[in-house]
Amino acid sequence: MRRAILALGSTIAGIAVLLSFKTHGIAAAGTPAAAPSTPSGSGSSAAPAGAADAAGAAATPSPAGRTEAGAAGRRTVTGRVAQTARGPVQVELTLAGPRITKVTMLQRTDDGPLSNQIDATAIPKLINETLTAQSAHIDAVSGASYTSEGYIQSLQSALDKARA
Amino acid sequence: MQTLSSQPAARAAPHPGRVAGWRAPPGLVLAVIAAGVAGVIALWWRDTPPITGLGDELTGAGRILGLLAGYGVVVLVALMARLPPLERGIGASRLARWHAMGGRYIITIIGAHAVLITWGYAVTFHQRVSTEAGTLLTSYPDVLMATVAAGLLLGVGLVSARLVRRRLAYETWYHLHFYTYLAIALAFSHQFANGASFVDSLPDRVAWSALYATVAALVLWYRVVTPLRRLGRHRFRVAGLRPEAPGIVSVYIAGDRLEKLHAEPGQFFRWRFLARGMWWQSHPYSLSALPRPDMMRITVKARGDHSDALARLRPGTRVLAEGPFGAFTPARSRRGVVLIAGGVGITPIRAMFAAMPEPAGRRFGAATLIYRASHPRDIVFRRELDQIAASRGAAVHYLTGSRDQLGTDPLSARNLAALVPGLHRRQAYVCGPPGMTETAISALRAAGVPRRRIHHESFDF
Repeated sequence: MRRAILALGSTIAGIAVLLSFKTHGIAAAGTPAAAPSTPSGSGSSAAPAGAADAAGAAATPSPAGRTEAGAAGRRTVTGRVAQTARGPVQVELTLAGPRITKVTMLQRTDDGPLSNQIDATAIPKLINETLTAQSAHIDAVSGASYTSEGYIQSLQSALDKARA
Repeated sequence: MQTLSSQPAARAAPHPGRVAGWRAPPGLVLAVIAAGVAGVIALWWRDTPPITGLGDELTGAGRILGLLAGYGVVVLVALMARLPPLERGIGASRLARWHAMGGRYIITIIGAHAVLITWGYAVTFHQRVSTEAGTLLTSYPDVLMATVAAGLLLGVGLVSARLVRRRLAYETWYHLHFYTYLAIALAFSHQFANGASFVDSLPDRVAWSALYATVAALVLWYRVVTPLRRLGRHRFRVAGLRPEAPGIVSVYIAGDRLEKLHAEPGQFFRWRFLARGMWWQSHPYSLSALPRPDMMRITVKARGDHSDALARLRPGTRVLAEGPFGAFTPARSRRGVVLIAGGVGITPIRAMFAAMPEPAGRRFGAATLIYRASHPRDIVFRRELDQIAASRGAAVHYLTGSRDQLGTDPLSARNLAALVPGLHRRQAYVCGPPGMTETAISALRAAGVPRRRIHHESFDF
């Protein structure tokens, strides 16, 4: 029994320490961490290659090594669930540094066969645009306004979170 | 009937303390496990962006626990994979204790992982926890399967808990444990489908899969292939039975070239008798005599369905044997020896007693065997033990009678010291039921035997 308490206690303490390091990392290097996101975030015409360069360039001069290394790693960010008239839409982004490498749909409108059909064509287009633009400044797909709107909302929230 | 028991003990007695093959030191094994934990945490660290709020904190904790659990189940299976270095260096009974402790820990962690992830997502996406739980189950890939897996693991954990365990037959418990393999398989895919550390990193997915595949291969090799190969090479079969005492029977197992197994006195095999109703389960029984190149002997007390059925085995029945296992073997030491056996715990002690070296000079005296039983009729091997003792100038003391009748526990420090000259300078080996083992160990400690010289094995699954 004593051993069980010891094991759980040290697990909790260990996790608390790990989490607090992750949190303090931001406070120490909040502004520089956001810097690399600016070129790729604002330049909607930036090609993926350019964005990758930006990530590489940002990693080199970074003073706060630990946080930068963490931020430059691969990670996934989940967007907020956007409620549309046709149901919830939610995206998950996979990022390498500031660059979006993959968009996964966690939730998509589910409002009967028509809605599904619309999504089936609209979502690949939206994802392609996102990967090219590397931002949420993308055009809605005509004929799929609900889906597009929800997608862009969720995408924006994910990017806000990723680049905070 | 066979006369294995009356073989002169000096014949080919293996060198004490020379169990063939490498023994993994327990400290090293724990260090390797800890290094794995560090690796898992590094994985989380690298793939986690800075934390920005309560939702992230909760999710972060949940992810760490999830990774630890994914790693932990593999470690737990590996501990039970019958890896020879582990079996030799740590011993089956300690491995089983580690496995049980680790199992309780991992099940707790899995529960916390599920709760924290659900709660964390609920906070991040401003949902109610119940709503978020529904979303996770229905919309996230493979989470439903993983939840079923968690339920299975929890069930296995519950039936293994001490209270429930006592009311279950060994057989039932043993079979329920197979569900852990199913659970691990079910939970595997949700790690890659949702795990932030794996979703976009092929190298990490490869490494993680390799870990799982390696352990699966080890289990398959040591728990399935090796016993079959052994059967092919040694052709184990039941040679005969001999009742030793009420409810206690010796099984003689014949085979070819058994010396190649390098079995040591004090070790055990996991036996699987290929007879109707018995072939699907294997049980650990100690060798109760020094192994001969053509014959081994085990001695079993009836206390479960399986050990009852043993008494009805027919000669010629084929046997699969996994082993030899066990670190409860005579240490490489020139010290005098005291052996303490309780009840059917005499079986490995009987084999060790026959392998004791001649007394090393007058300084330490010959080996002393103390055999505790609650009733004189429960004493087995009396004739063999007396013969061995006579041939090597060793002493045997039979302590019978229940504690109530005697008014005191005969395994007290004072009693032991009176029976065994120079007790505190000896190596001590204790084998018996858990309660008796504990009593004997504390008596030995009180009599001045240092802990490192007390070796023990409990007869408990």
